[in-house]
Amino acid sequence: MEKPTKIKMSKNTEHNEHFLQGAPGCPGIAIGRCSLYKRQRPRVSDTQVDDSETDHHVERFRDAREEAERELNKMLGNQDDGSVTDLIKTQIEMLNDPELSNQVEREIRVNNKPADSAIQDVFEMYLQVIRKNHDDALERSVDMADVRDRLIQILHDHTDDIIEDSILVARELSPREIIEFSTRNIKGIIMDRGGTTSHAAIIARSMNIPTVVGLKEATKLIDTDECVILDGSNGEVMLEPSEEMLSKYKKLRDQQVAAQADFEEICKRPNQTADGHPFSLQANIEFAEEISSLRKYRAEGVGLLRTESIYLSRKNFHDRQLQQEFYESILELTAPHPVTIRLFDTGGDKFFEETEREQNPFLGWRGIRMLLDEQDLIKNQMRAILKAAANFKGRVRILIPMVSVLEELHEVQEMMKDIQAELEDEGVDTDNQVQLGIMVEVPSVAVQADLFARHADFLSIGTNDLTQYVMAVDRGNERISKLYDQRHPAMWRLINQVAEAAEKENISISVCGELASNPIAACCLVGLGISDLSMNTVVLPTVKQMLLAHTYADMQQFAQKVLESNTLEDIDQLFLNWKEKTDN
Amino acid sequence: MIKKKITIVNDAGLHARPAAALVKTASKYESDFFIHLYGYKVNGKSILGVMTLAAEKGAELELEVDGPDEQKALEAITELINSGFGEAYEDQNE
Repeated sequence: MEKPTKIKMSKNTEHNEHFLQGAPGCPGIAIGRCSLYKRQRPRVSDTQVDDSETDHHVERFRDAREEAERELNKMLGNQDDGSVTDLIKTQIEMLNDPELSNQVEREIRVNNKPADSAIQDVFEMYLQVIRKNHDDALERSVDMADVRDRLIQILHDHTDDIIEDSILVARELSPREIIEFSTRNIKGIIMDRGGTTSHAAIIARSMNIPTVVGLKEATKLIDTDECVILDGSNGEVMLEPSEEMLSKYKKLRDQQVAAQADFEEICKRPNQTADGHPFSLQANIEFAEEISSLRKYRAEGVGLLRTESIYLSRKNFHDRQLQQEFYESILELTAPHPVTIRLFDTGGDKFFEETEREQNPFLGWRGIRMLLDEQDLIKNQMRAILKAAANFKGRVRILIPMVSVLEELHEVQEMMKDIQAELEDEGVDTDNQVQLGIMVEVPSVAVQADLFARHADFLSIGTNDLTQYVMAVDRGNERISKLYDQRHPAMWRLINQVAEAAEKENISISVCGELASNPIAACCLVGLGISDLSMNTVVLPTVKQMLLAHTYADMQQFAQKVLESNTLEDIDQLFLNWKEKTDN
Repeated sequence: MIKKKITIVNDAGLHARPAAALVKTASKYESDFFIHLYGYKVNGKSILGVMTLAAEKGAELELEVDGPDEQKALEAITELINSGFGEAYEDQNE
């Protein structure tokens, strides 16, 4: 979701520093001078070339074509993201288009055009057809125009004015451009357009370049060479920072960079506490592009694969075959670890017209409640998952969102049995080890945890929603958001109860909510016996670092004290003590 | 020369990646390959040409294959289109 841009003056009135608010693209701090990047349509020559020069121009075109292909192949070598490689391969295919070469060479030889304008004119012919026939012409022609511009830039020996080590400010960048700039030591990226889940932001995250997106007018407000502070984790850009701010953020950045350097080493170490108790850290992901950072931080599989954004943004996801292929690609890239696929967790509001909106969507028709009414939707998804599972036996777990009563679990269990039987009747291979578990996010389930633990294959605690329901707080409501804290003593009691129920029935239990990304809370969770934690990959190293530093025995003691506390203030104190203990 | 009518079945239609897959398959064969749609005729071995068609789901293409291995080529192309191009998913546009 894009936030509106707002400019607020700093409380510190002695300086004119001010903030631009955008959306987080990739976490991290960057400080430095900006380079404004304008994607210019290169100007081409309008002269005619002599017959004697045409051979030379054909040669130049061929060289440029080869150079462009070399560049793309080089980018391909550094990539293991499916979508990125697809994009690059499509561009390579365009460069190798036999018609392109024929036509450009004909324009040069027959119409005596110089190489650059021949390229321009041939591409223009294709682009015109697209513009004439298609409403979404812009979207369709982006890659084509990108290839054209790159070819002409190479011919012109074009160098842009991007300074190494600068923060790049652009209206919008194509994924190819981000990949290319990442090889030129760009410190950070600021973009007018795009949201946190835009393709550009995902690519920036996989390249680990601090990025803020959706700033709307950054290219107008920031000048080349201006010094700014970019904070990718909260989507802020600070203009004209004071000396104090600069030194504060430099310190923060250096800490982050130092921590980053340790991360790789930390991630290589085995997942066990200081006294050898094993734990497992998994990733919450939504897109195949996130797999590279999952691998980098050595997550042991996917603890939560969200499927709803894909479902909402891609109409073709009604297509079972495509869904299945998406699951298979994730499974393929995360072998040999388990992948927990959560069924579509959408609210009914996504389907409603403005006038039909529910008064209380969070207490409304969502998750499994909606899916059981929309049988085609859930059956299609289950079928796609089960077919994908057959090729990766023993690795797939299906997670049901928003369960509140036992009947819902039973209904899905029956459905899964029926679909497996159907598949077998059709002669399709199936995996009989697919596990079916539930999200523990509605208080009724946490209260009846013993019951659910007897019937589900596994439990996964979603602390974000559970907190909101247990505390009866809408975290978006600023007046009461103070009450929203996932570490409240009431939460710990419930979590403990769920953990005990799972242990008694000997089923797997994990936490996939934000609570697991808090390193100190993670110690407490492990201390309660929940040793499978799933989180966004970016926080994984800090959590792991904390878990490696302490003994299981200490974590158990810590958890015990947390359980005995009365108020959030007590918890704050315990967490503070734990932190001091870590630092010493 | 053989001709055959075929309908695009995948939801995304002939976007960039399906177009790349189609061209790749067609280029394995010696036969010439053309696609007719809405009065246009494009070289099926040219990704730029195929992309300009931007055939949507449900569009009916006429395939024209001409050459020594035309039968084999047509079979491979037909299979690819009917399978929905084995495409995982399209870029989302935000």
